[in-house]
Amino acid sequence: MNPSNPPQAAEYGGDEVSAIVLDPGYSTTRAGFAGEDAPKSLIPTYYGKYNADGQEKLVFGDDIFVTPRPAMSIHNPIGKDGIVEDWDMAEKVWEYSFTSRLTGTKPGNPFLNGLNDIPAEELPTEMEVELEEKSLADSPLLMTEPAWNPAKAREKTIEIAMEKWGTPAFYLARNGVLASFASGKASALVIDIGASNISITPVHDGMILKRGVQHSPLGGDYISSQIRALFKKNSPQPITITPHYLISSKTAVEAGQPPQAKYRTYPADKAPDASYRALLEERTLSEFKECVVQVWPGPNKLSATGPTGASNEEMARSTPGRPFEFPDGYNQVFGVDRFRVVESLFDVKAAIPDPDSPVPAPTQAQTIPELIKASLGGVDVDIRPHLLANVVVTGGSSLLYGFTDRLNHELMQLFPGPRVRISAPGNTAERRFGSWIGGSILASLGTFHQMWISKKEYDEHGANIVEKRCK
Amino acid sequence: MAAAADVRDMLDLPAEGQPRPAKKAKVVEKRPEGITRELYALLGERAPPIAINENKYKGRPKFMNKLRVRKWCMTPFANNARSDGLVLNHWQREHESTRPPAPEPNQMELDETKEGGKDEAPKPKEQEYAFAKYNIKARVPRRYTDEEYNRHLKSDDWSREETDYLMNLATEYDLRWVIIADRYDYQRHLDSEPDANAIVPAKQYRTMEQMKSRYYYIAATMLAIEHPPSEMSEAEFALHEQMLKYDPDRERDRKELAALQLNRTADEVREEAMLLEELKRITSNEQNFITERRELYSRLEVPISVGNTAMYQSSQGLSQLLQTLLQADKSKKRRSILGPEGAIPSPVGQTPTQATALGRAETPGTTAATKDTKKGPAVPPTQPAVRTLTPAEEARYGVQHHERLQGGVQFRSDRAQKLTQAKSNVQTQKLASALAELEIPLRLFMPTERVCKNFEKLIQSVNLLLDARKVAEKVESEIRVLEAARAERERKNAPEGSNKDPEHPEVKTEADDGGNSMLGSTAADATESGVSAAGETGQAKGDEAVSTQTPVKEDGNHKRSASVLSSVSDKSSKRQRR
Repeated sequence: MNPSNPPQAAEYGGDEVSAIVLDPGYSTTRAGFAGEDAPKSLIPTYYGKYNADGQEKLVFGDDIFVTPRPAMSIHNPIGKDGIVEDWDMAEKVWEYSFTSRLTGTKPGNPFLNGLNDIPAEELPTEMEVELEEKSLADSPLLMTEPAWNPAKAREKTIEIAMEKWGTPAFYLARNGVLASFASGKASALVIDIGASNISITPVHDGMILKRGVQHSPLGGDYISSQIRALFKKNSPQPITITPHYLISSKTAVEAGQPPQAKYRTYPADKAPDASYRALLEERTLSEFKECVVQVWPGPNKLSATGPTGASNEEMARSTPGRPFEFPDGYNQVFGVDRFRVVESLFDVKAAIPDPDSPVPAPTQAQTIPELIKASLGGVDVDIRPHLLANVVVTGGSSLLYGFTDRLNHELMQLFPGPRVRISAPGNTAERRFGSWIGGSILASLGTFHQMWISKKEYDEHGANIVEKRCK
Repeated sequence: MAAAADVRDMLDLPAEGQPRPAKKAKVVEKRPEGITRELYALLGERAPPIAINENKYKGRPKFMNKLRVRKWCMTPFANNARSDGLVLNHWQREHESTRPPAPEPNQMELDETKEGGKDEAPKPKEQEYAFAKYNIKARVPRRYTDEEYNRHLKSDDWSREETDYLMNLATEYDLRWVIIADRYDYQRHLDSEPDANAIVPAKQYRTMEQMKSRYYYIAATMLAIEHPPSEMSEAEFALHEQMLKYDPDRERDRKELAALQLNRTADEVREEAMLLEELKRITSNEQNFITERRELYSRLEVPISVGNTAMYQSSQGLSQLLQTLLQADKSKKRRSILGPEGAIPSPVGQTPTQATALGRAETPGTTAATKDTKKGPAVPPTQPAVRTLTPAEEARYGVQHHERLQGGVQFRSDRAQKLTQAKSNVQTQKLASALAELEIPLRLFMPTERVCKNFEKLIQSVNLLLDARKVAEKVESEIRVLEAARAERERKNAPEGSNKDPEHPEVKTEADDGGNSMLGSTAADATESGVSAAGETGQAKGDEAVSTQTPVKEDGNHKRSASVLSSVSDKSSKRQRR
C-alpha cells in the first residue's frame, strides 16, 4: 500500500478530530490525543501544597516526587472510592495533565504579560474577549469515569469541561466500556484492578449494566497496606521503609543484616509533611510489588492442599525466593510471604491482620470471586456465558505476577460449566492504560462524532444532558 | 584472431571433443544493499556470514518526486447525523472535489439530511459526512394515540405512564432488552407526585419478560391497527404472530433452566461429560456391532454351490476359476466376506460350510459378549475346562440346564406374556383384571429368570382361583335355584315330608360336573378337594375369594384385598403342588 494515499474512509472507520482523551484515576491521570496508542501525558493525581513567602503554592505532576519542600503536604482530589471530592483541585490537576504536554499554555495577552509598555489609553477593550481564551478551545474532550459515578459528579464534570476549559464538544464514557473497547469487544466482563478500587463491570453492546457493577477497595493501596503489615511482622526485626530522599549514602550489607546507611535529616521547620513521606514510601512499595509480590497461581487457594497432597503453601515455599533491596540497603529474600500479601484478594481468611492500619480488614464479599459472582448475578442469565467468555482484565495492579492465572482458576472453579476466557493484554502499557486506549479508539472513530455533546447542546439543555447522552 | 575451431584444426585436435575446461564463470554475487562497492570489493568472494545491512529510510520512490504534492489541510466538517450542526475539524486532502466522493449518498443518508441537517447554517462542504450513514435506529412501532391506547391497549397491570416509559426506553436503547431491563427504573418518576413520600408504593419490580410481553403486545396491536391481519404481507403476519405468541412464563422457565445449567457444580459437569463420553462409546459400539453383524450375515448368505467340481480339477480350470473370482471380487466389493486373512471363498462348497461353522461358532460368543455383559463373561461357551458349578454359583452366573431347547431366539418376556393369554377371551380379561388388581403389569418390567418363574407361579394360581370362583358361583347359583325349587315344593306340598337328604348329593354332582366340563383336571382336583375333601375350607375359601374380589372390582386397587388374594393364591398353589 502506498503510504502517501489516504486509506479509504471505510477501511478503518477512523476520523481524527484531534480530540483529547482524559482518563483520571486515583493514582495517575492519563491524557493524550485520540488516535494514539498510549497517553502522552501521565501524571500522578496527587498534588503537593506548600507555603512559600506567605503564598500557598501547588505542585503538580512528577515534580511532587522530586523536592522535599518544607512543610509540603500531598493531597489527592479523588476520594477512596474513585469519586472526585475536591472539585477545584481535580480541575487543576486535570488541566495540568493536558496543558503540560498536549495543548501547551496559551500565550497570554501581549499587552498584559508585562513585557510590553503600552500607554493605558491604548489598552484595547476588545482584548477582553481574547482573555477568555480557554485551554481546550479547539479540542473535543473525552473523559472517563467509574461506572458508579453519581449523576451530580457527572454534571459537575461537564460543567468544568464546558465552562472552565471551553471545549467545543464533550463526552463522558465509563472506563469499563472503554477497557472492553480497547480489547476489541463490545460485550465483556471488565475486571479493573486499580490503585484504590477493584471493579467488575459487565458491558453489553457498549453499555454498562448498572445492576451488575461491583466494586470494592481491595486495590493496589490495599496490597500496600498488606505489605506494610507483613513488614511489621517480619521475623528477625520489623522492616522499616525509608524513602530515598532520607538516605544520603548507603553501604551494601548481607541479606537480613541491619542497614548501614547515612540518613539525611531535615530540621523540623524544613521537613516536608508526613504525607510526603507516605507518598514516597508508596513508591518503594510499588517497586516491591513489581519485583517481589506474586499471586499464588492456583489451582485452589494458597491455604488449600494441592493435587499432590502437599499443601499449596509448601509448594509455594519450595519455589525460590525473591530478593529485594530497600533504599537504605537492607535486603532480604522473600519466600512464601510474597504470596501471602495478595492472597486476601481471593481468600479473605488469608488477610494479614494489622490493627494499626487505616485500611479496614476486607470482608468476604469484597474478594474478587465474590464480586464476580455478585456481578453476574445482577445481569440477565442469557448473557452470562457470553460475558464469561469475554473477561477483560485491566488496571495497573492486575500486572501482579500470576494474577491472571489465578483469576482463571477461580473463574473455572466458580463456573465449571461455561467456557471461561480471559483476555488480558500482555503489554504493560496496554494493561495499565486500558481505558485510555479504549477512549483513544472511540474518540477517533468517524461514527462516534455524532455522540459528542456540543457546546450548543450544553447551553440548550444544561448539564443534565450528560445523563441523557452518555448512557 | 583465429577462432578456437581453427586452432583445433591446426593442432589436429578433435573438434569440441574434449569439453573445454569450464570457464570459471565469474560469479557475480549481488552486492547486498547498504554496502558500498569499495567495501564489498575488499570483502572478496566469500563474504562473511553476517548481515551488514543497515535499515535506512527509503524515502519516496523516484518517480514520485515528479508528482505534484497534494496538500492536506485541516477542514471543518459538520456531521449530518447531528442535529446541532457541531463543526469539528479533521485533516483532508485539499482538493477533495477532484476525486469522486467515495461513499455515495444512499437513501438512508438522504433521509437523514432531510430530518437532521436542516438547520445547519455553515455547510462547509457540499459533500456528505461519510460516517453519517451509519446512524441508524432500530425500527420501533408508531406511537399510539390516546384513543388507540384507550381502545386497544389498556391493561390492569400497566398504567399509561409506565407504558410510555417502557416505549421510550425501548426506543432509546434500540430494543436491547438486556440494557432496558437493567436501566428500567420507573418508580423514580412516581416520586414527583406529592404524596409519594407519604404512601410509598410497593417497589414493583418488572422482569424482562414482563416488559417484553407488554412491548410485543403493543407492537403487535399497533401492527394490526395499521394493517388488519387479513391485509398483512407474509413477513408482517409472521412477525405479528410471533409477537402475539410471546409467552413470558415459558421464557421465565427457560431462563431458570439456563441458570441451573450455568450454575452446575464441577461434579455435575464432570458427570455430564462422562455420560456423554459413555454415550459416544455406546453408539460407536452399536455401530461396530451392526457392521459385524452385517458382515456375519453376508458370510452366512454366501450361496452354497452344489455344482460338480470336476471342471476345476484341471489346472486350466483352476486358473479360470481364479480369473472369475478375481473378476467377481473386483466387481463386487465384498470386502466383508474377505476375512482379514484374505481367504477367497471358493464356491466349491467347502468354504461355505466352514463359514457357517465359523458363523455359528461366533454367534453365541458375540451375543454372549454383547448381551450378557452384566451376567458375567465367566461362561464363554468355548471354555475348554468344564467346571462343575455349585448351585449358588449357578444362580450367580445364571447358568441353567434345559431338558430340551427350542431352536431360535425367544424372549423370556414373551414366554411370560404368553401365560397371560388364556384360551378364551373372557378368561384373558379376567386374568388381566386380576393382575391389574395386584398392580402387576401385563408386560413385566424386568423379566429376569426369577421374576418370570414367580410370575408363572402367580398366573397359575390366579387361574386356579378364577376357576375356583367360577365353580363356586356355579354351585351357589345352583343352590339358589334348588333352594327356590325346594321352597316352591315346600309351599306346594307343605304337608309332604321334607326330602332334604337327597338334595345334597345332587348338588355335589352338579358341582363336579361343572368342574369337569369347564376346567382342566388340576382345577377340578382343587375344587374337589375344596368342596368334598377339605369340607368347609374349600367352600369357605371359594366364598372368600369371591367376596374379596367383588368389592375390589368396585374400588380399583385395594392393597389389602390384593394381599389377601395373593395369600389365598399361595395357599391354593401350595395345595395344588401337593
